[in-house]
Amino acid sequence: MGGTWLPPALTQMAREADTLFYVMLAVVTVFFVIVEVLLVTFLIRYRRSRQRQVGVAVHGNNKLEVVWTLIPAVILVLMGAFGVKYVYAVQNPPANSYVVHVTGHEWFWEVEYPNGVKVQNDFAIPAGVPVLFDITSQDVIHGFYIPAVRLQQDAVPGHLTQFYVTADPKDIGQTLPVPCDQFCGQGHPTMVGSMKVLSQADFDAWLQQQKEKSQ
Amino acid sequence: METVLQRPRRSFLRDWVFTVDHKKIGIMYGVTALFFFLIGGLFALLVRTELLTPDGRFVSVQTYNEFYTMHASIMVFAVIIPILTGAFGNYLVPLQIGARDMAFPRMNALSYWLYLIGGLVLFSSMFFGMPDAGWTSYPPYSIQSEGPGIDLWVTSIHLVGLSSILGSINFIVTIHRMRAPGLTYNRLPLFTWSMMVTAFMQLFATPALAGAVTTLLTDRHWHTVFYTASAGGDPMMYQHLFWFYSHPAVYIMILPAFGIISEVIPVFARKPIFGYHAIAYSSVAIGFLGFFVWAHHMFVAGMQLSAGIPFMISSLIIAVPTSVKIFNWLATLWGGAVAYEVPLMFAALGFIGSFIIGGFSGVLIAAVPLDLHLHDTYFIVAHIHYVLFGGSVMCVMAGLYYWFPKVTGRMYNNKLGHLSFWLYFIGTQITFFPMHFVGLAGMPRRYALYAPEFQFWNDVSTVGAYILGAATLIVIFNLAWSAVYGKEAAANPWGARTLEWQTSSPPPAHNFDKIPVVTENPYGPYDKPEGEPGLSPA
Ligand SMILES: [Cu+2]
Ligand SMILES: [Cu+2]
Repeated sequence: MGGTWLPPALTQMAREADTLFYVMLAVVTVFFVIVEVLLVTFLIRYRRSRQRQVGVAVHGNNKLEVVWTLIPAVILVLMGAFGVKYVYAVQNPPANSYVVHVTGHEWFWEVEYPNGVKVQNDFAIPAGVPVLFDITSQDVIHGFYIPAVRLQQDAVPGHLTQFYVTADPKDIGQTLPVPCDQFCGQGHPTMVGSMKVLSQADFDAWLQQQKEKSQ
Repeated sequence: METVLQRPRRSFLRDWVFTVDHKKIGIMYGVTALFFFLIGGLFALLVRTELLTPDGRFVSVQTYNEFYTMHASIMVFAVIIPILTGAFGNYLVPLQIGARDMAFPRMNALSYWLYLIGGLVLFSSMFFGMPDAGWTSYPPYSIQSEGPGIDLWVTSIHLVGLSSILGSINFIVTIHRMRAPGLTYNRLPLFTWSMMVTAFMQLFATPALAGAVTTLLTDRHWHTVFYTASAGGDPMMYQHLFWFYSHPAVYIMILPAFGIISEVIPVFARKPIFGYHAIAYSSVAIGFLGFFVWAHHMFVAGMQLSAGIPFMISSLIIAVPTSVKIFNWLATLWGGAVAYEVPLMFAALGFIGSFIIGGFSGVLIAAVPLDLHLHDTYFIVAHIHYVLFGGSVMCVMAGLYYWFPKVTGRMYNNKLGHLSFWLYFIGTQITFFPMHFVGLAGMPRRYALYAPEFQFWNDVSTVGAYILGAATLIVIFNLAWSAVYGKEAAANPWGARTLEWQTSSPPPAHNFDKIPVVTENPYGPYDKPEGEPGLSPA
């Protein structure tokens, strides 16, 4: 069923993010099951009865305290460390990136290409090339979010935020939603753009066509 | 010899409006917060009703924005914080430490009246124009937003914030100076422990919020440019100030709740609390670490991504003291003699069973790589509701039922109590669990209109919300009806050993005929419960 789980991943980076998600989800699910099973077991097993009127007189156990402090601490820090590489990978776009400027407006996305062409909401990117979005806003804060690539950055007036996307050639022809996810007023829920993945040739043609349209 | 005793003059005005008795102030906080709970809940139901269909047939987008803003603002500022610190804190702390009142009774009354007025100011925006920028009220949108809504919102925050600061000073002084003889910090009841840490957090964090909303107000009306980028201001500054308060505020809303759990579980398990020191000091650890995680709300807000890494690590680490508490509560149940009374059901199955889901989703979104996807989606909405509803509200319910016989001298209706528990427990899962799904799929929050593929789970959530609404009405009816018609309760119906149970129910105005002398830790071993009314041995 659509709308129930992670949407198909568009990029290699998105698949890495999903791997991180599944690893962390597995770890917390193990702990979740342990806690719920212990909870329900104890509630049933130690229910008050004629024979069982008071609990055992135990006040604590220092060894146990150390164990259940250290184990979660180590696992949590490892989970954090596991994601550090990915953070730097997202932060450092390849030098040869194709730079596209994104500006949030009330209430549409304006996307500007290096040749000066500007389009609103519905834009295209070439597959196989790292495309770097330079994101800012004209008015209030917006959120530039592409669920299919598992990335977002706020569009903040006076700031430039960035992320890059390298679409797989196998996804050519796909169109993906680009919702604004930082509340920006009445047009917030309808501020949904779309990103079309094209082959380099089709993209060049599309860009040329947009240029002619605007003249 | 003849003594002429003049009976004190009594009237509603004298008894309640001019009262400085911490118990009455606590009750007034509680009743007021429950009133706002109904209003905030009503807004939640309006929000959920709008989300029944993807195309927004019920109200306009603008109205929807106002509804969710009112829902969150009322619940955070007028319900959860005041009911935990104002109602439970005020009523219980002096009793638990064997004092006759708070250190500054008149200031205590002032705190309540500031809170009431602050809450009413927010409430009044229903008639003058409601705020529409969310409970976070980020500029520049909140500067641009027209009408008196945001101004009333700021005024309300100022009033309840001042109330919080005064209250926190009162708690710190009271707990530090007014403990009964022999009541060392190592014998302090765990609810009072949690209130002390909470008070310190309120004292240090609230001024940041005051700064944030005050500058917002001057930007709106007096041409300052704190948050106007084109004039050299920076909208991100607001977010830093806001979250420097509002992340600790999450712990302000959960630490006293943890305190309630630590009182309820040992009493009904008839077993000393496991790891008293670990539970007490983990609150201190949370209070301290809570000030070093705020930027996890801002990973995608324009900070350098790698600057998020230290905040990611601190946010993961803060899960440790919380999990220590969970393990100790579980260990308290182990080997106990657990009575399935309503407070225990809310505390064990209701709270532990639901809250951990919010804890675990918190671990996921603390990781920068996952937050890059999940930030500002329904996954966050699921998380915060598992923490504040599955966590704080479940504890509030546990506490309301647990201390009800103490406060009123009467017992609640047990059948209705159990019914409300099961409706709450099931309603919570039906309402909030599906939000994880649509969040993972990329549904942004604060959307009055949404893509049709998200409708199914939204409808499920809405059904759950109606169940929670019904359950809340049952709780309120039960408490109100039983306060007048309930069976009379003994002074200590649960056989608890903390000091508030060692006086009559309800306690006399001066709390204790003789100030008690404390010689041991208040968590057992417990006596056999036989012959104690209210406990039903199975
Ligand atoms: Cu927007
Ligand atoms: Cu936070």
